[in-house]
Amino acid sequence: MYKFPEGLYSDIRIERANYASYRVQNGEVMTNNEVPITGAMIRVFDGKMWYTGVTNDLDSIQSELDSLAAVAQPDPDILEHPAVKLYEVHKAKVLRFEGDRDNRKITREQREELVRGYIKACVDESIPEIRQWYANYHQSHVVKEFYSSKGAEIVQDFQQCFVGMWYDIVIDGVTTSGGKHYGFMDFDELRGHQDEIVAKRDRYLDYARNAVDVTPGDYVCVLAPAVTGMFTHESFGHKSEADFMLNDQTLRDEWVMGKKVGSDLVSICDSGDMFPHRGYIAYDDEGSAPRETWLIRNGVLTGRLHDANSASVLGEELTGNSRAQDFGCTPMVRMTNTYMEPGDTAPEDIIAGVRDGIYVYDVIYGTGQATFTMKPAICYRIRDGKLAEPIRANVVTGTVFETLFNIDAVGNDLEFCDTSTCGKMGQSMPVSDGGPTIRVKSLNVN
Amino acid sequence: MYKEKITSHYKYSEIHIEETRFKAFNKDTRSEYSFRVYDGGYAGIQLIQGSIGEAEGFRLAENNLALRRPYKFTPETGSRHRDQSEVEYSDKELMDIARQTLDYLKTHHPDYIFSGDVSTFRKTLSMENDLGLDVSNTDAKISADFSFKHKDSKDIMDGWFSFSKRQFDFEKFKETADNFLTNFTNRVELPEELIIQDQYYSYIGKMWETLNAENLALGTSLLSGKIGEKVFADGFTLTHDVTDRESWITPFFDGEGVMLPGDKYTFIKDGVLLSGFADKRIADKYGVPHTGSANFCTADIPTNGNINFRIERCGRTVKELLDGRLTVVPIMAAGGGFNEKGEYVTPVQTALLCDGERLLGRLPEFTLKGNMFDMFGKDFIGVASDEPVFNDKQILMKMQYSK
Repeated sequence: MYKFPEGLYSDIRIERANYASYRVQNGEVMTNNEVPITGAMIRVFDGKMWYTGVTNDLDSIQSELDSLAAVAQPDPDILEHPAVKLYEVHKAKVLRFEGDRDNRKITREQREELVRGYIKACVDESIPEIRQWYANYHQSHVVKEFYSSKGAEIVQDFQQCFVGMWYDIVIDGVTTSGGKHYGFMDFDELRGHQDEIVAKRDRYLDYARNAVDVTPGDYVCVLAPAVTGMFTHESFGHKSEADFMLNDQTLRDEWVMGKKVGSDLVSICDSGDMFPHRGYIAYDDEGSAPRETWLIRNGVLTGRLHDANSASVLGEELTGNSRAQDFGCTPMVRMTNTYMEPGDTAPEDIIAGVRDGIYVYDVIYGTGQATFTMKPAICYRIRDGKLAEPIRANVVTGTVFETLFNIDAVGNDLEFCDTSTCGKMGQSMPVSDGGPTIRVKSLNVN
Repeated sequence: MYKEKITSHYKYSEIHIEETRFKAFNKDTRSEYSFRVYDGGYAGIQLIQGSIGEAEGFRLAENNLALRRPYKFTPETGSRHRDQSEVEYSDKELMDIARQTLDYLKTHHPDYIFSGDVSTFRKTLSMENDLGLDVSNTDAKISADFSFKHKDSKDIMDGWFSFSKRQFDFEKFKETADNFLTNFTNRVELPEELIIQDQYYSYIGKMWETLNAENLALGTSLLSGKIGEKVFADGFTLTHDVTDRESWITPFFDGEGVMLPGDKYTFIKDGVLLSGFADKRIADKYGVPHTGSANFCTADIPTNGNINFRIERCGRTVKELLDGRLTVVPIMAAGGGFNEKGEYVTPVQTALLCDGERLLGRLPEFTLKGNMFDMFGKDFIGVASDEPVFNDKQILMKMQYSK
């Protein structure tokens, strides 16, 4: 097939992607397109440096491989390099989205009919405060091939479809934007969510009409499951990615296995092998099989996420977390499906235990430094154990070194968010975040 | 029927550095073609990445006329070509520069761990049609972007600095790195008066929403109903500026081929709101001026929002504007941002005290707050004529601490 150069580790990742979008804004079709994109990344490793090339001309792969090899310095013992030794050699074809499931077979008429159905059910022209509405549909289907000089031959596929409604609500000259999107692997799962979208629209209307500005300060916070998912991802998930600590003794000492890093109630897991969640992979982008990795068990650090390089440097097991946004990007250590394990407390009991605090109901995005942040969409005040008025807050923040210890209640209502996208060093990656309702003794709300 | 083609060629080479070690040499060369046909008030569009024959590309675009994507405007005409690139670095030259920068950082700042990229990027964007439009824009840059963390820090990173210009200047790079790192471990107190000195891009993010002519027309902008009114400070002038001086890999034409007189359009003049931004569709729909603001939607009809926002510089330097006062330079301020009322709150994880040019020491973490109308109104000090600290334009404005 491909002639791999001697004395070098090489791999080739080919992607054939098909995207389709349909978007309506205030009754006007703004987007209606289908886009095929094909390309490949070719990588060569000589034991010291990687040399990579990207092309969208698949006929040039061999010549690209040869030209990269020409500038590398072959090492006859390359297979003994610690990272190269860890590269797995799988020969597999995992095509889960062939036949009737293949969303490339969804016609434009089917997409338009689906969206029209949502518009009919979820747009109410009698609500004057809604000045703009958007109905969105998007689908992607990607077939990835992976070949390595060690003999790996993998073909896998991935697809997703999204539908949702978004609204601009104007009250007293202030525009609140909100809505709900659904993401699934199969087109048919997108049907039937109209009532939930209308309920979310009405919740945003209530928020826009009644929200009061938060008084900045530290609060007891109860996080709804979708918020806990993002909190888990941002507060700790990024610190579990091992590629930032390879040459950093301070961080290696700080995040040593067996260290107590959170309350006994906290257990966090990452697994790429959770079909059909958005972070699912059959194999990672170095050809490794995904594992279930418990990052924290009962508050104790028990694992971290690796690619072959980080696993070899730290002397730990591969976890199958080497991922690239697309063929144009080099793989790096990324989360897949990351969730906090549920406890056994009913969510209403968690809220009932708060005399004065804030319930973070929904969240827009977050960031994951030592001081992590979340930008909430909707919050409510908790007074005497009950949800009270909606609160307008701009950012919820805390430090990872304290916050995980401050979790004093974990609910039994685990939920996953399958529309999340994680950004790291310029690459966007589909992930799934999960968690139950939790209570944190102190977070800063501003 | 008219035919039109948008072509993009880009070439990117990068030396990737991870934890003060060379990790990879990456190259990415790609071409993209958007074939477009206009007929009877509709557009047929086909995006192709990679090589394809012109006849085949237009055939696919013609097939897509069946989608009846509405586009009733006559394509543009005119010829102009601009090439702002100055140097084309070879791979070997890029590697030499990467070695030079990393060696300097390792030797002069051994207490820090560095990650980042030294890269070159070159892009040509062209647009042509059979009415005679024939325009192209070429630009190229070389960048050395480094994140850093002190060896004793427990965070993933403590900050970053960047040098990005059309030609590499090692002396300027050294000066930038030294400025950020020399006093970084010098702990200093937050000043009572909070004057922010920063590149302004993130602070004017709200303008994408508030100056969209459609939002202005529908009442969904905080500036709706304020055309002709003074909304910000006297010295605050906001433009779409694709002149030679202010362009940075930015073409002088928009996604509909529109070239503006003088390559510039003013939205806010000395604090007075003049107009929002609009492509041809939005201008036609709401009866407002079109401002050359169409995105390059290579797979579909254009959308509104291709803006190269620039706050006009005043004629004074940072030092002159400060007149002896000290500033706060946030270098890591992730999270938060503007809310729907135009209030701005963000936690600042890393900030440095500055005398306008020299960074004096690291400040404690704090939360920054302000309000769009104040930040560009009574609290706006100006955008200076010079470019210390960042090698780029920077805003000076007063803001507040939050709890």
